[in-house]
Amino acid sequence: MDETIIAILRSGTPLVYVTLAGVLAQRAGIWHLGLEGLMIIGACSAVLGLVQGGSIIVGLGIGIVLCVLASALLWFVIEKLRANPIIAGLGLTGLGLGGTDLAVQAIYGSQASVNAPHGLPRLGPAFGEYGVLSILVVLMPVAVIAVWILTRRTRWGLQLAACGEHPFAARSVGVNPARMRLAALCLGGVLCALGGAELSMGSLQIFAYGMTAGRGFMAFAAVIFGGGNPLGATGAAFFFAIVGALGIRAQLLFGERVPPDFLLALPYVATVIGVWISGKLRGGAKAAASFGELRDY
Amino acid sequence: MTTGTATALACRDVSVNFGPVAALADVSVNFAEGMIHAVVGQNGAGKTTFARVAAGIVRPDKGGVEIAGREVPVGHVGQARAAGIEIVHQSFALPPSFTVAEAMEFGANGSGSLYTRRDLERRWTRHLESLGVRVKPRERIRDLPVETQQAVEIARALVTDARVLILDEPTAVLSPSGIDNLFERLKVMQANGVTVILILHKIREVLAIADTVTVLRGGKLVEGPTSTAEVDAARLAASIIGSTDDILSETDRDALVGAAEDEGKETEPAHHAGPAILDMRGVSTRPDPEGPALENVALTVGRGEIVGIAGVEGNGQRTLVRALSHLADLTGGTITLSGVEVTHHPLSARRANGLRVIPFERNSEGLSLSSALWENWSARALLRDGVLKLISPARLRRACTAALQVWDVRFNSPNQPAGSLSGGNAQKLILAREVDDEATLIIAAQPTRGLDVGATAFVWRSLREARDRGCGILLISSDLDELFDISDRIVVMLSGRINGEFSHPYHLGEIGAAMTGADR
Repeated sequence: MDETIIAILRSGTPLVYVTLAGVLAQRAGIWHLGLEGLMIIGACSAVLGLVQGGSIIVGLGIGIVLCVLASALLWFVIEKLRANPIIAGLGLTGLGLGGTDLAVQAIYGSQASVNAPHGLPRLGPAFGEYGVLSILVVLMPVAVIAVWILTRRTRWGLQLAACGEHPFAARSVGVNPARMRLAALCLGGVLCALGGAELSMGSLQIFAYGMTAGRGFMAFAAVIFGGGNPLGATGAAFFFAIVGALGIRAQLLFGERVPPDFLLALPYVATVIGVWISGKLRGGAKAAASFGELRDY
Repeated sequence: MTTGTATALACRDVSVNFGPVAALADVSVNFAEGMIHAVVGQNGAGKTTFARVAAGIVRPDKGGVEIAGREVPVGHVGQARAAGIEIVHQSFALPPSFTVAEAMEFGANGSGSLYTRRDLERRWTRHLESLGVRVKPRERIRDLPVETQQAVEIARALVTDARVLILDEPTAVLSPSGIDNLFERLKVMQANGVTVILILHKIREVLAIADTVTVLRGGKLVEGPTSTAEVDAARLAASIIGSTDDILSETDRDALVGAAEDEGKETEPAHHAGPAILDMRGVSTRPDPEGPALENVALTVGRGEIVGIAGVEGNGQRTLVRALSHLADLTGGTITLSGVEVTHHPLSARRANGLRVIPFERNSEGLSLSSALWENWSARALLRDGVLKLISPARLRRACTAALQVWDVRFNSPNQPAGSLSGGNAQKLILAREVDDEATLIIAAQPTRGLDVGATAFVWRSLREARDRGCGILLISSDLDELFDISDRIVVMLSGRINGEFSHPYHLGEIGAAMTGADR
């Protein structure tokens, strides 16, 4: 049982960080499809920073700086160049996947995966079996609560939501929607860097090309599933993680009889079903109608 | 202006250009403190732009704004609000998913960074009570009826210590009794020392509430602020409309500026409707994304008859149009068009039967703004023809050019995108497409909203001509003056039901009561 919980926390934590970034962006009115790209930039920087810079702090720092810069770039493209947020986000994902691959190529001259000498600091033996978990796992609930308070219990959060839902209303009370979106995206960049670092350094201590494997999009699905509430979205992220862990479990138990590909696909199937259910729960098409549009009149 | 009174808001030489269009040209005006001022003008006269400049939302190309004698940097909402100016927008500016308490909080200033839900509700309940707004702070904005939404929006504007309150066309969405309530509320605020600036376009309302009136026409200041004691309706109408006697009859003109008597006049011999073109019996629908469900709606439109649908917006008018266009899910009842039952027929079959629709949203439902004029215009014929019929763009372009000339659309080329047309010309393009010889029932949903005098007069004339040719016309409007002027019969909708039917002469009081259900 403990083993399963550890597996769920390990696969769920990176997803939660990235989901929180998506929630912030969604509150600001941006459907953030660049999460995948930001996440892999975070994952890559953590490993390369540690290997090249010799310190985990350097790795995390580089990851955070690069993710914030990439988020600011996304903001610039959406806000100043008036690009469609969906397309721009997908572009950022492409940039992240390709850019990290290029960085590895440039430094090591091959596309092979990069191993790190050690990972993020662990909880330690005092926590028994759970000692193998990284400190970012413990920090995760703190981040969830912080984002929840920020978005649901402060005036700043209300103003952010107004920017997302009705930018003109925000402008009428003197709030600058563009600046709020920049803040939300950059804050999301920090969270994505943490999520990426946890993915590559939490348990594996390795960076491989494309290692996010669609987790950014799964986080995006969790954002939609959670309906803009950080707690709901976190729950959705864990739902996906649990399905994934159960898939692996099931593979061990009756991998002989069921094709393993099917079991591996479970989290993705769960994503599709989750989005479908959340659409059903709140009248589906309505959410999609304003998809990617920034209303301002 | 009486000397000795302090000036609450002053604008100096304000000019605003939107692209090549001058929305405001050198407008200078002073509003005295503690009064209710009206700013009137036709659509496109620059009233809204003026209000937004004063509130700091639009940055003027030139000119300055002074509040209570102090210069305020233009185009800066925060500074304008700090100086004590607040605005209530025509289409309300509150995020629909917010609760009332959240809507109050998000625009408040000062400290108060963290809150609990209960704190928030307690704080704003007191504020709402002090303004006499009865609403639960936990309710969501989108679930509130229009009049409550407006009251909440006004309360939102007063969360700070506002000295000047601007309301942009606050009466457009209200029923007659809602307007009375609003005016009562404004008088209380005036008594508390707030200067109120009302953007209006009905003379009747101006004379009922305002102390002074200022008239804008084509972005220029025509007169004012003049004390309302010194003006009469006829003179105001002349300054609002200017010299356009040639295109408007006197009653149309009164309807346009809202100067008509409360008791509608018998303007023309009552029209004798022929056999029914549209016959809806017991029509009910499922709840619709765009409004309440229809409940047991029975409605007929005869040949050569204009039937007006009155009602506060959001009472099922959109669902009615959607039901007639086969877009809403019917749960019961029958729809008969020219003697053919079309309850289960798709829109294409209904159109083949003579149904034509001038939709609510000209720019999203009526036209494809990015498509060429000829493509927009040809849609009618293209939908009717078989899918494999060859299209000759050259021929369609020629036909479109000829048709648009007949309909007096100002355009350069049939290839230009529909989005490049002005509102009036865009509506004429829709008329050119929808009002053809085979039309038997024309649904005109808010056909004159946002149009200037000339275009409005054109739309009215086109609808009357279609009626005289024998078309049945279903006119949906939230402007009672428009309905009184051109409808042969008026049906009132309330919460998806038909709540009364009226014929000439119309009485504002009766119809207003039916709109709010006060008679029940």
